[in-house]
Amino acid sequence: MSYLEINELRKDYSDFNLSLSFSVEKGELVTILGPSGSGKSTLLSLLSGIESADSGEIKIDGKDIIKLPISKRGISMVFQDFSLFPGMNTRKNIEYGMKEKNGKKRDQKADELLNTIGLNGYGKRKVTSLSGGEAQRVALARAIASEPDILLLDEPLSALDAPLRKKLRGSIRSIHDAFSTTMLYVTHDREEAFAISDKIIIMRGGKIEAYGTPEELYKNPPNLFTAFFTGDGTALPASLIYGEGTEGSVFFRPESVTVSEESIEGGLYPNHLVFNNVEVLSAEYTGPGYMLGLSFRGMPIIAFSPLKPKKRIVSLMILMDSVIKIKS
Amino acid sequence: MNERDKFYFKLSLPALFITFFIFLLPLFSVLTRAFQDGPGAVIDTFKDVYTWRLLAFTVWESLLSAVISVTLAIPFAVFFSKYSFFGRKAILTASDAAFALPAILCVLGFVIFYGNNGILNNILLSLGLTDKSIKFLYSFPSVIMAHVYLNFPVAFSLITSALSGMDEKEEMASKLLGKSNFYTFIKITIPKVKGTIISAFILIFLFCFPSFLIVMSLGGSPKYYTIEAEIYRRTYTDVNTVSSSSLALFSFMIMSLLLLVSGYGREEKKASRSKRIISKTKGRKKLEAFFLSFLIVLFLAPPLLSIVYRAFFTKDGTFTLKTWRDIASSSPTGAGTGMSAIINSLLIAFSASFLAVSLSTAISVSAVRRKSRLIPLLTSLPMAAGSVTLGLGFAFLSSRIPYKSIYISYLTVILAHLVVVMPFTVRTIMPGAKRIPSALPLASMCLGKGCYESYRKVEKPMLKSYRRRAFAFAFALSLGEVNATMALAEGKVTTLPILIYKMINQYNYQGASALAIILLFTAIVVFTFGEKEDKENVISGNK
Repeated sequence: MSYLEINELRKDYSDFNLSLSFSVEKGELVTILGPSGSGKSTLLSLLSGIESADSGEIKIDGKDIIKLPISKRGISMVFQDFSLFPGMNTRKNIEYGMKEKNGKKRDQKADELLNTIGLNGYGKRKVTSLSGGEAQRVALARAIASEPDILLLDEPLSALDAPLRKKLRGSIRSIHDAFSTTMLYVTHDREEAFAISDKIIIMRGGKIEAYGTPEELYKNPPNLFTAFFTGDGTALPASLIYGEGTEGSVFFRPESVTVSEESIEGGLYPNHLVFNNVEVLSAEYTGPGYMLGLSFRGMPIIAFSPLKPKKRIVSLMILMDSVIKIKS
Repeated sequence: MNERDKFYFKLSLPALFITFFIFLLPLFSVLTRAFQDGPGAVIDTFKDVYTWRLLAFTVWESLLSAVISVTLAIPFAVFFSKYSFFGRKAILTASDAAFALPAILCVLGFVIFYGNNGILNNILLSLGLTDKSIKFLYSFPSVIMAHVYLNFPVAFSLITSALSGMDEKEEMASKLLGKSNFYTFIKITIPKVKGTIISAFILIFLFCFPSFLIVMSLGGSPKYYTIEAEIYRRTYTDVNTVSSSSLALFSFMIMSLLLLVSGYGREEKKASRSKRIISKTKGRKKLEAFFLSFLIVLFLAPPLLSIVYRAFFTKDGTFTLKTWRDIASSSPTGAGTGMSAIINSLLIAFSASFLAVSLSTAISVSAVRRKSRLIPLLTSLPMAAGSVTLGLGFAFLSSRIPYKSIYISYLTVILAHLVVVMPFTVRTIMPGAKRIPSALPLASMCLGKGCYESYRKVEKPMLKSYRRRAFAFAFALSLGEVNATMALAEGKVTTLPILIYKMINQYNYQGASALAIILLFTAIVVFTFGEKEDKENVISGNK
């Protein structure tokens, strides 16, 4: 039995339906990744009790909490806009949800948390005077202080700029590791999800498209949506490689492609797919090399090359093992 | 309905119940009085040509007052929102304070300054600019002028504030496209503040429509009576309560219609992100600033300064403190009853404001969380009834209570004041409630707190400055309230403005002025308290 079990959770709106089941182990940090409108935040609202589900079960440690009010669920949440209480200072915000009654112990615990989030001495500061990054860390500390069974984080870094996001996602992972809190983290940023998650749930249209570790999802995406959502790549009709009548697609990542300016004789490389007469349409410099936009018989291909091709027509070679067959 | 909806519904229930109880009950008693001899009286009133003539006049005086106030305010507002100069802030603060200026002070100031034997006539006579007193007062223009006196600052303050909150990018773009200042003003600036201008116009129209004290005191003749004044006349001069109740019913229907049509209580537009940059006046602009400030001061200051003057000087110009000694000694005659009037006013204003703020907070938060449009509309209904009608309703009610006591009189006055100020306190607190992000109480609940605890610890403290402002506004309104008190208390409960009104009618201007200064001073103190900056209450919290 998993620590958090979501069984056939369902919520119907006039223009959107959410229906899913999944489970999370105790102490895991699971990211829910998906495009806007995929139902990520709705899922968190249902879990926290902000919205009520039409049917299904939400079990924490075997106990169904779906009928409990928000305050009794043992689920805390960090909101996108931090939602710090402006009438209280930083310390009061952190102490707000503490179960501890003893004032001295509360202060001690608040000090420890302030220390953990790197805001020692900020206790008396007004939360309105904190920077975005500081406010987000206080929001996280406040949620942790309430000792929740599950902590939900709803795009907690989306209001911050890119360098700060990168820095803070490391802090979130460290705090998770320090307190071993079971976390569900919503984001639409693939890089962020890959950087901090134990597992990732990919959502689309209110349903789960894929669930696995970042590596599993990148290397073996179960469908094209997951394949493209977890990184760049090329999808070609399977019939192009396996002959007429073969259904589905083949998918490969740009780094699996070897680019040659000379024509390649396919027979010499039986474990590879070979494409000759591929036209170079674009070459974007990415630092480590070039991301090439190519065209083969009118079909777009993306390939990574350490060097910029000098010729307009090139050849490609892809190891068969790195090609993923996808049915849909 | 989830637990939060249930909580906010329960939160609003007692408040709504009390509001309706204190509003519907007096209204119902007016209604029963109107129909006590069958529907004949009501039908007669609705068919009477005089009723419709009264309506036409009331609409006309309100329309004229609103148009003049707003039209005069626009050019001043444009200049004040654009330039910074010496005295600007003082004039803007004084204009804001005008919201809290009791109408009785305007009446007294007008009588002392513009009266037939008033200060202005004395000055004109002594300078030889006229042979005999000029009759400014007791005419239709004097009623309109008093309305403009009270409402010009309101329009000026609202439009200046709206213009100051808007950036000038569109104006700059228009000028860069070769358009003149005037063309830009008409085509770009005016449309931008159109909403505020219309709101100010509606607000002033609705303030002037049930005008009572000013038309009674400065109109001079029943031909300038508004519907509200006529209701009072029929009740206390004709002693025909059936006829006055029928007219009150007619008035209520018309005002309800006006409130619905004008969309009072509609959403306010958000100000643009970047405010306009106010530039310092130089050269000719400095002169313009001085001239415009002088005009405002010339219009607003003399009546109020006259009150201050007359509180210390006799009509002949002799300095005296007699009235003040009378007030301090609490002698039972004249201004001597002032002390008890002061205490009455403060007690009633405090009780009514305290209750109004408590109820309005619950109503506002509940309405916002439940996304109710009906609740704000319902709470603005007492505006439709008019304070004279409400006072009358309470008078009918208290006449049915067999147990007579001064405490019952006090209670009915407090309730009448409460129902008069409630629409304003709800309107003051509602924008604050709207500004509390809905995620905040949810964040609190996610931290294990219940709905009530989240409301008490998170939402209510965030409304601190709004509640304070609402309290000050309600206190000032209650302090200056004449209509309902006069229609209801029959002299049992004398408040400051009632005593001032009585003294004006007895030509005891010195006593009235001394009490008016106390009233004015209290209103200013309360206004300052309401406008105190609350730095902790910044509702955003996130950069």
